[in-house]
Amino acid sequence: MSDPIFETLEFRNLTVKNRIFRSNISGRFDNEDGSLTQTRINWECRFAAGGAGAVISSYVPVRMDGRIIAGYATIHRDDFIPLWQKLGEAVRAHGAKYILQLSHSGRQMDIPGVHNMHRPSPAPTSKMESLHGFLCQAMSTGEVRQMVRDFAQGAWRAREAGLDGVELHAANGYLFTQFLSSAINDRIDCYGGSLRNRARFLLEVIEAIRDKVGRDFHVQVKLSATDHNNVLPWEGEGNTVVDTIQVAQWCEALGADALHVSTGSLFPHPLNPPGDLPLDVLAVTYDAMISSGVSGFRNFLLFRYPMLRPIFRWLWFRMKKGRPVEGVGYEEARLIKDAVSIPVISTGGWQTASSVRDALGHIDGVSMARALVANPHLPQLWAAGYVLAPAPCNHCNKCLGGAPKLPMGCHELARFPSRDAMIDQLMAVYDTRAALQIPGAS
Amino acid sequence: MTAVSAVEAALAHRRRRWRPVLWLILATALLALFIGIGLLVRVLQSGTPYYSDDEQHFRYGSIGAEVASGIPYKVWQALPVLFPEEFPAGDYSSFGFLYDETQDLPIGISKRRVSGVDLVWFNCAVCHAGTYRASEEDEPQIVTGMPAHQLDLHGFTTVVLGAASDPRMGPDSLRSAMADAGVGMGPIERLLWNIVVFPRLREGMIARASRLQPLLERQPNWGYGRVDTFNPYKVLEFDWPAHTLSEEEVVGASDFPSIFLQGPRVDMQLHWDGNNPSLAERNLSAALGAGVTPETVDHGSIERVAEWLLDLEPPASPHQPGANAVARGLEIYMRDCASCHGWQGSDGYVFEGDLLGEITPLEEVGTDPNRLHSYTQAFRDEQVSELFKDTPYAFRQFQKTDGYANAPLDGLWLRGPYLHNGSVPTLADLLTPPSERPKQFMRGGDVIDPQGGFTSPPCTNENGCFNTEIRGNANTGHVWGTDLSAPDKADLIAYLLTF
Repeated sequence: MSDPIFETLEFRNLTVKNRIFRSNISGRFDNEDGSLTQTRINWECRFAAGGAGAVISSYVPVRMDGRIIAGYATIHRDDFIPLWQKLGEAVRAHGAKYILQLSHSGRQMDIPGVHNMHRPSPAPTSKMESLHGFLCQAMSTGEVRQMVRDFAQGAWRAREAGLDGVELHAANGYLFTQFLSSAINDRIDCYGGSLRNRARFLLEVIEAIRDKVGRDFHVQVKLSATDHNNVLPWEGEGNTVVDTIQVAQWCEALGADALHVSTGSLFPHPLNPPGDLPLDVLAVTYDAMISSGVSGFRNFLLFRYPMLRPIFRWLWFRMKKGRPVEGVGYEEARLIKDAVSIPVISTGGWQTASSVRDALGHIDGVSMARALVANPHLPQLWAAGYVLAPAPCNHCNKCLGGAPKLPMGCHELARFPSRDAMIDQLMAVYDTRAALQIPGAS
Repeated sequence: MTAVSAVEAALAHRRRRWRPVLWLILATALLALFIGIGLLVRVLQSGTPYYSDDEQHFRYGSIGAEVASGIPYKVWQALPVLFPEEFPAGDYSSFGFLYDETQDLPIGISKRRVSGVDLVWFNCAVCHAGTYRASEEDEPQIVTGMPAHQLDLHGFTTVVLGAASDPRMGPDSLRSAMADAGVGMGPIERLLWNIVVFPRLREGMIARASRLQPLLERQPNWGYGRVDTFNPYKVLEFDWPAHTLSEEEVVGASDFPSIFLQGPRVDMQLHWDGNNPSLAERNLSAALGAGVTPETVDHGSIERVAEWLLDLEPPASPHQPGANAVARGLEIYMRDCASCHGWQGSDGYVFEGDLLGEITPLEEVGTDPNRLHSYTQAFRDEQVSELFKDTPYAFRQFQKTDGYANAPLDGLWLRGPYLHNGSVPTLADLLTPPSERPKQFMRGGDVIDPQGGFTSPPCTNENGCFNTEIRGNANTGHVWGTDLSAPDKADLIAYLLTF
């Protein structure tokens, strides 16, 4: 009997060699202008070489006012198409597919940078983001329609670059979530109010993409099954899984090829990525975000002073009670899978082969980020019969905590023989062997 | 200036919006600090005025009664405003308290600041300062050391205890009465009163009333110039419930004594019943009666008073009896009286006599027994075992006696009415057989009577009427001299008027 993990997965327009997807994760590898670098190619290929069936890019903004941080490659310019093309070729050379995640921050913009610091971010609402106090300005109806076109344009560029598909990042609190969530969307035009109206933006983007790229290009949608928006207890809870099932059915009806199911209406969220939250790491990295939101300094104090940490710890961990780390979103993914006929991929803490095999009886694939950051060759280990990697990810989330200031990679010293070994692994991705040029003389 | 970022602009906007609130908070904090310091400075203030003159100290110096027994000075001043029906004279002279115009408080009321609040209460002079007049037309002359025969302490006590449960003692009416009495409060003091004084004032008064009232209900009115020394002491100092006092001991009112010339009295049996030969213990015991407690007593102050009293002479008698009669009276006195009472010599009182300062048994003296019975063995035992325990001031010499002490008669002209319970208005009456002595007479007058003592007309109204039929008021006993002939009596009186 064949291993379900290593069965091919047939989407309508895409075939993936196994059921393992590298979920969205990135460091600040790219240029300030949004052009991608060799470092990113190295990063994505690390997972392709490790055996993942497909690599889903990290957050790729379709516009510069939708960046969450500088250093993440964008797809807002046609002249970046060749760069993305190169990346796609590199990943495919290792036998994996490459799916580009089309994104816009809305109000969830971690570090605005030179492009965005001078203005509030465009969003469905003018209510500031609750946790950090990121500022935003509600888009007019016309601006929303322009945003729809910009997403379609991004999808077209991905197709032009020869990539294997696109994913709409309609999860984790970014722009699409802000439209979908009943706790965030306070619009009074046709994009706010009922669930159908709140979903209108996402559905119009799917339609526009289909108009732009046709029926034969892989388009999947990443959804948060449940908002759990009340991380701060005074916030509303937001959408339930019942709402999301309805949205998923509408997505399918309008031509989505697959669903990627996550959770939470902000990022990070107590349930995504599941596991610990390293407040001691945030104490040395969150300073980079103090000036990003009006509540930044407050948060920094909560992280910086051990005496105050219990306050944040209580806020954060009260929601995790009784929930597993591995497969934290599995049950909700199942519920959605039961309601649609397109493949459903679940993310959230997966890294044990046996658990993944059990889950694949009900869903179609799993996506992993941290498990593969820790062990890029985990698919090969599974194929070799390992249930768990010898030095598995411990879900400490130090990679997440380090994101504002430190290079992306595993920062759990306990997993390495020495600090030098850890830094060597973190630096390996920068081995670019660039062909340096003389400006203006080429 | 354009902000560097939108967040900075928002924060600046927020700062601008909150600035008035911050100023308000700052101002409130400063105000609270100011008030806090004001309160603290006030609360840290404690002390009592010092009087360099000994007599002023006797009249107004604190002996430590205010802390445990006193009421705030401002409440003291407000009570006549608040209860005009009880203070017909508009001040405490309504109860016979004396004012000498040097203070706004009566003689015998001292002031002490305790944690920022001025409290007032009794000192020795409240019971030991009185007045006399040579005739109705004269101005009263104040004499310190003589009995406060004009003082209605029972009436005063009843009014104060009654005030405790009177609605007018509520903070609002009390505050406005204080303002009317000219002792209003500043803002800091008002705060201190609202937080600390008002809540405790009434509670304290009610607690005291609840102990003392049941006792007073078992007793007849003490009347002018009299106090029950030991029974209130039992319920207030020892917390004995009034209902536990036996019927025999429960009535004990007697006259305030004079306190002249204490030096020669050393080692005599002191108090009416002679229950203690120690001046110091008697003084301290009397101070407890005035409201001090072993914790609050001001020993230095009391000792200063005691020192001053050692040789405090009574003023010379204004009576001018005929010299021959006096000479004849002296002979009779020396024969019949001197061994018990000493005698008046040309250079002052002579404290000599075989039985002077000794106790004459009750069956022999025959005077009213109630005062004797009010001092019980159980009370004595508690006095000795509990009061000033483990200090040099502990009581050792109290004894339960079986009669009344033979007292020196210095300043006799100021000491009417006579006998320990003040039941005989004049010396002449004392020399008549008990059955012929006045049955009822008015007490509290201060016009001197040619027959010795103060004019005491027959009763015209109930207030101030002394009725010898009432328990504790019997005018029996001390029949010595009643069988003298009329001329001998006149001569003896002439001599006694020179005392």
